[in-house]
Amino acid sequence: MLVIYSFLITSAVIFGIGIYGFITRRNMLKMLMSAEVMFNGALLALLALSRASMVPAKGGILALIAISLAASEIGVMVSLAILIFRIKRTIDVYELRRHRG
Amino acid sequence: MSQFPIELIVFSAFSISAIVFSLLVVEHKSLVYSALSLAFLGISNAALFALLGFDYIALFQISVYVGAAVMFILFSATLFREIPPTEVPMRAAAIGIAILVIAAIAAIFLPYNEVVLSPVSIPWDKEGGLARTLVQSYWFPFLVVALALITTLIEGITLARREEVVE
Repeated sequence: MLVIYSFLITSAVIFGIGIYGFITRRNMLKMLMSAEVMFNGALLALLALSRASMVPAKGGILALIAISLAASEIGVMVSLAILIFRIKRTIDVYELRRHRG
Repeated sequence: MSQFPIELIVFSAFSISAIVFSLLVVEHKSLVYSALSLAFLGISNAALFALLGFDYIALFQISVYVGAAVMFILFSATLFREIPPTEVPMRAAAIGIAILVIAAIAAIFLPYNEVVLSPVSIPWDKEGGLARTLVQSYWFPFLVVALALITTLIEGITLARREEVVE
């Protein structure tokens, strides 16, 4: 017998791992991937909670829109990282802060 | 067999794999293997969506998120020079913050401990299904998302193309 809470706990653990990665990494792509891990955890929580609600289809639509926007965000961020790497030859955010301006 | 229903086994397998792959995304030294782990995390998450009854969202997750977005990261990661890992002084603080967030979310959602998952699939094209609700009530966000995806495609091509050498 499965309960919704087990999905929510899984999503919380995935979200927490994403937060840990986002704080500790200094590579721009690693930070983006950690943010994507957080997004995956949040998406699982959204669908689990919408499954427990009276109208689960609305949660599904929110998830569809969120997945599409995440794909757009990945496109923008990776293109920016490529552009920054071409100009500065690094995607280390600490180094980029030093070379700003 | 009744003591170990198939749903519980599938859930345990995919939730453990999702957690392991998210750890690999964060901890692996290579960008390429991190991106590959992100793809497997997306697939594990899609299996959990299907288990929740959202079959079409699972298909969408695999085709759009894993198939397009994560593969974009994977192939872009090969363009970058690998940065050697450095000691991060905030590791202990980050672990503390992550544990605090997990505990807070677990406490907030504690009332859902009683809600049992019934084996129902969310319909796609029936009354109250995903497609009808999307077209009838959420057509404008759907349009905006479609435009955002097209704009991203154009922006990605513009930024990533090779610069022409002017002689």
